[in-house]
Amino acid sequence: MEIGDLSTMSPSGVESEVAMIATQVRAVQMPEIAFTPVSALELPYSQRDAKIAVSIPRYTLPVTLFWGCVFILVIVSFLSLKLDFAKIFSRVGNLGGVVSKLSHLTSDKLDVAIGALMESVTVTILATVYGLMIGLIVGGLAAENITPWKPLAAILQSFFSLLRAVPTMIWALLVLVCLGFSPATGIVGMLFHVVAFFGRAFAQSFEEVPQATIEALLACGANRLQIFFSAIIPASLTSLIAWTALRFEVNFSESSILGMVGAGGIGYTIMASMSSYQMERAGTAILMVFVFAFSLELLLTSVKRKLKV
Amino acid sequence: MNSVLRIEGLYKTYPGSSSPALANASMEVRAGEVVSIIGASGAGKTTLMRCINRMVEPDAGAVFIEGTEITQLRDSELRNARRRIGMVFQHFNLVNRLTVMQNVLHGRLGYMNSLDGVMGRYSEDDKLRALNLLRETGLEEYAYKRAGELSGGQKQRVGIVRAVMQKPAVMLCDEPIASLDPANSRVIMDLICELAKQGNIGCLVNLHQVEVAMEFSDRIIGMKKGYIVYDGTTSALTDQKLEYIYDKPMHLLTIRSEVAQDG
Repeated sequence: MEIGDLSTMSPSGVESEVAMIATQVRAVQMPEIAFTPVSALELPYSQRDAKIAVSIPRYTLPVTLFWGCVFILVIVSFLSLKLDFAKIFSRVGNLGGVVSKLSHLTSDKLDVAIGALMESVTVTILATVYGLMIGLIVGGLAAENITPWKPLAAILQSFFSLLRAVPTMIWALLVLVCLGFSPATGIVGMLFHVVAFFGRAFAQSFEEVPQATIEALLACGANRLQIFFSAIIPASLTSLIAWTALRFEVNFSESSILGMVGAGGIGYTIMASMSSYQMERAGTAILMVFVFAFSLELLLTSVKRKLKV
Repeated sequence: MNSVLRIEGLYKTYPGSSSPALANASMEVRAGEVVSIIGASGAGKTTLMRCINRMVEPDAGAVFIEGTEITQLRDSELRNARRRIGMVFQHFNLVNRLTVMQNVLHGRLGYMNSLDGVMGRYSEDDKLRALNLLRETGLEEYAYKRAGELSGGQKQRVGIVRAVMQKPAVMLCDEPIASLDPANSRVIMDLICELAKQGNIGCLVNLHQVEVAMEFSDRIIGMKKGYIVYDGTTSALTDQKLEYIYDKPMHLLTIRSEVAQDG
């Protein structure tokens, strides 16, 4: 019914017209959308059926579902673990004792600890640099917009997921069998995840380079390799640097942990000291890791800001 | 004069579309000639242009660049053919992080081997020519600025210099002034015409503004629904023919002059 038709209706007073509009409003209000059409705004507030919507349920549904799932999962996990809170709270006090023992720093065999830290740092550097070089290549091959063969991009992307499905610790243990106890084990063991990470992250960065930029170089007669180095890399340099800096930090913490499975470095020092109850030495080593990681983060942040990359 | 670009019976229908974007398009451009393509949005102007350097693959028909048919060329042959076809874009399509020089020199990549291109080892001759072209276009002082720091008009001049660096026989300008203000538009159109005459380059320019096309072109091509419906001089393009090309009465096509008169 058109609005103009209202005037031709039987003149049974204003109320019936309002009632007519209200009926129209209800007719428009499908049960699944609690949505007030603009025409209903002409009604006084008391006669409106619903509050004025600012969105529609279809858009808010994912958020509602997400929180619903989180709630259910929390309850299920909580019940399935059968946590003994009394025990947790009674024992958690012991942590204070351990921390106080750790905080009695010692200079005993400090040179060994420093040597171990340097080993972790070099492992971090090499794992990052090798990973970066391999990652740039596989990232280029895995990026939808520049891959020489589309299926290869999909295959590589799933291969990256596969690499990351196995924890770094397991990779390191597998490599340990071949290479024995050495920093090389740490580097190779970490490379699986580093390459998967860089491959995925770089591919994503490359894919964000506008197709128009690539097209401009194609139109110049440039080949794939030239386009990659002359347009794709420069255009995505900012995010490449950001990803590399982030991964460098992650690599340092991973290389510290890897020492615990025998791949050398500061992690081995921490574990060995702990297992022989030399808490002072362990504490010193942990502090060294913290200081290095923290200053690394400060340094990278300030460099990023200075360079305005 | 000899034609540097000739197309014959070009067809293109995009997948999922029932009507052709380009149908039986034939025309030619001679060396040093500036030819404008006009037509409503969706008339096939951009498709025609992109079929010429095969950014879009035509379904049928032939494209001759300096007498060589290029629709069947593959890989390196296609790249070699593209070196002779410069392209200028509406959104400039520069690499914003790189300097103006680097962007301009990208025009030479097609002539270099992969390694030199990757390492950015451009020849001294190319660099000298780039600087000279930048000086001619008033961009010398910006040569070592990042392209992203330039204004729209300056970016488009860089885009044009990049195309000219290719030493092209044909230059395709896809709505080169659509993102620019009127003053900059004039500078850019003057530059395109000047460089076309100077380098004896056949220019094909997509334009939305009929007045600009009338002023700067040697010849005009009108497109409608994928067909070339007009191909002739600017003087022979009557109001009646314009109304046919745009499918709109003249008073709707000349909004600018009417507003000016009212004001």
